[in-house]
Amino acid sequence: MKKNIFFNLAIIFLFVSINCGGDNKKNKSDNVEIVFWHSFISSTVPALNELIQKFEKENPGYKINAQYIPSGDPLIQKLITSIQSKTAPDISWLHSDFIEDLVEADAIYKMDQFIKGKDGISEEDLNDIYPSLLQYSSWKETLYSLPMEATNLALLYNKNMFKKAGLDPNHPPQTWEELKSYAKKLTIDKNNDGTFDQVGFFVPVFPAAGPLGSWMVWQFTPFLWQAGGSLIDKEQTKVLYNSDAGVQALTLWQEMYNDQKLSTFTNLFENAFVSGSLAMAMDGPWNLPRYKELLKNIDWAFAPLPSGPAKNATVVGGEYLAIFKQSKNPDVAWKFIKWMIQPEVQAFWSMKSGYLPIRHAVSEVPEFKEYLKNHSDFRVFVDQLEFGRAEKMDYEALEITRNFAEAIERATVGKVDVKRALDESAEKSNKLLKNARE
Amino acid sequence: MISTSPEVQEEKLILASSIKGGKNKLHGKEKKGDLLPALLFLSPTLIIFTTFILFPVFFSFYLSFHEWNMFSGETTFIGIDNYVRMFNNEEFWEVFKNTAIYTFGTIPLNMCFSLLVAYILHKKIMGKKLLRTAFFAPVVISPVAAAVIWRWMYDPNFGLINYSIGIFGIDPINWLNDPVAAMAALIIMGVWKTFGINMVLFSAGLQAIPEHYYEAAQIDGANQWTKFWNITVPLLAPTTFFIMVMSIISSFQVFDIVYVLTSGGPLGATKVLVFYVYEHAFKFFNMGYASAAGYVLFAILFAITLLQVKYMKNKVYTFG
Repeated sequence: MKKNIFFNLAIIFLFVSINCGGDNKKNKSDNVEIVFWHSFISSTVPALNELIQKFEKENPGYKINAQYIPSGDPLIQKLITSIQSKTAPDISWLHSDFIEDLVEADAIYKMDQFIKGKDGISEEDLNDIYPSLLQYSSWKETLYSLPMEATNLALLYNKNMFKKAGLDPNHPPQTWEELKSYAKKLTIDKNNDGTFDQVGFFVPVFPAAGPLGSWMVWQFTPFLWQAGGSLIDKEQTKVLYNSDAGVQALTLWQEMYNDQKLSTFTNLFENAFVSGSLAMAMDGPWNLPRYKELLKNIDWAFAPLPSGPAKNATVVGGEYLAIFKQSKNPDVAWKFIKWMIQPEVQAFWSMKSGYLPIRHAVSEVPEFKEYLKNHSDFRVFVDQLEFGRAEKMDYEALEITRNFAEAIERATVGKVDVKRALDESAEKSNKLLKNARE
Repeated sequence: MISTSPEVQEEKLILASSIKGGKNKLHGKEKKGDLLPALLFLSPTLIIFTTFILFPVFFSFYLSFHEWNMFSGETTFIGIDNYVRMFNNEEFWEVFKNTAIYTFGTIPLNMCFSLLVAYILHKKIMGKKLLRTAFFAPVVISPVAAAVIWRWMYDPNFGLINYSIGIFGIDPINWLNDPVAAMAALIIMGVWKTFGINMVLFSAGLQAIPEHYYEAAQIDGANQWTKFWNITVPLLAPTTFFIMVMSIISSFQVFDIVYVLTSGGPLGATKVLVFYVYEHAFKFFNMGYASAAGYVLFAILFAITLLQVKYMKNKVYTFG
């Protein structure tokens, strides 16, 4: 019996010593390692690897250890745990909505101290970045991160279907009225069985509480802006999405959703587009590298989003890089971010990944100019950046987005009166805002 | 006659005395010195149990009276505010209703179906083992993978189910986009996923019923149905009772298949209690509120189980 105890103890000690040994392996080489968390979609990862190789080649002595966390929700959950257990990464790639919580936790640095530091960047460089992106990088007008890439939405359409429906394939819809009438012409019941075999325009409606809820809101906001509306007032005291503009935009969605009987249509729009049962949908530039292969049997193109009764608008988004206070080498982390926002690097990254550049100066880079000439679809997205708009919510952004998503779902799937759905949702959001500001 | 060796008898005695909670007087082996090795041997389990079960249980109870966003180290005491807010929240009752619908939709279906399959497979039929394995397979498949497959099957355009019913001239059903159909879709998948384990339990129960009851009934001229109704069903009661308690608990806790299959939609029609807890804990980071919801779930399950034990115990036959 005694012998067994010692045997067990020996095994326990062995385990403990093996685990301790793990820590000593680090720092064997002289490279300074920066841990970088991201959740790019898997098709972007090869481009990211090339980017990191480029950085390491140009900056000998530094290593970027990129760690992939699948999708945004797990990323923020993992960040919280890591902050509590003091194992946060040096840099993380973030959605704008996460910044509020991270600042409250005192987990990330203000960007000012790096920008104005001795290895900083000039005022002109900073102002060259699209203002909407800087707005999303901030919280309460203080810069806490810098954008890594930009995205927006454009209209993907099938040229052949346009021809068959008697529409000009080189004249995609320019206004809401055109979008509606085109969608109607492109919605066809081929065998007269009461269900549509081809749908004109995919209205992206998903369960509000699910992982795609915020994605639905993101795609709705351009319509809100095109009608002249806003998400929230300037002082961030109440939401404004239930304004007349909001009603107008959601009514458009409601009508198109019901006229095309989208409740019995798949919500896998990409599959529908590939299989030739969908003519138009909204989509982002990050899919472009994939579509070359995936859509090679279809004559497809991208067009700017149609403009609304008030103006042109598309949503501008992106992902943002923040430096964590737990980082041992914040200066090296900054070095990477500073390198990342250079026009040449942005051009390289943009051409490889399909994401959009974050600053005006990139359009002066010769390779990028050349690239735009040969890639008209990509150009649509880049040109649209000028109409890109942003509205940052500083309080309870995640829950307000969910409430907004509920209103969209209720008006489309639930056929609830648009005004009522928006008002009830806004009331919930305003209550939240009031509590958060107290 | 069965002869028992002295060692076996001794062991039985030890077992009996330890069950009664008495000190083992036969050998007097339980000395102080045995505690340390016992703890050492138990330590891996004890450490895991304390860290991942015991601590969270008490900590979430503590949290349910606090406000905490997980980011900051500070928790603010707010008394029973979380509970008051929850009971005044319409959405909570909606969620509670959905959970009840799911539970009382799955359980009867699940139990009838698993008993039927177990009963059929209890007879001497061809390919019994293969069938049993096939019916059990869904239980061991990862719920997420299974839900992804079912989401494809339910798809209105590319789905197998609408295609199959279309052959019989039935109009396509709007499975995941209609509140009623989505709950039905969830219940169907829930039954498919869990009936295998109940089938195994029923099979074990069936095997425990002595053959001579059936023989006696046969002599008295009973047919299949009377035998089933008057012998099998009453003698299976302990198994049925156990399955019912366990099924209610697991149905109230359903989450993974909901998250993947319907994401609580459409219009929140399939948002169940644990999904609600998840949303508040890991999407909005209201840890205190989520813990309170978790404790309400616990209270509900505790109450239901107590009621079941109290009212069903006397009605259940046991052997011996």
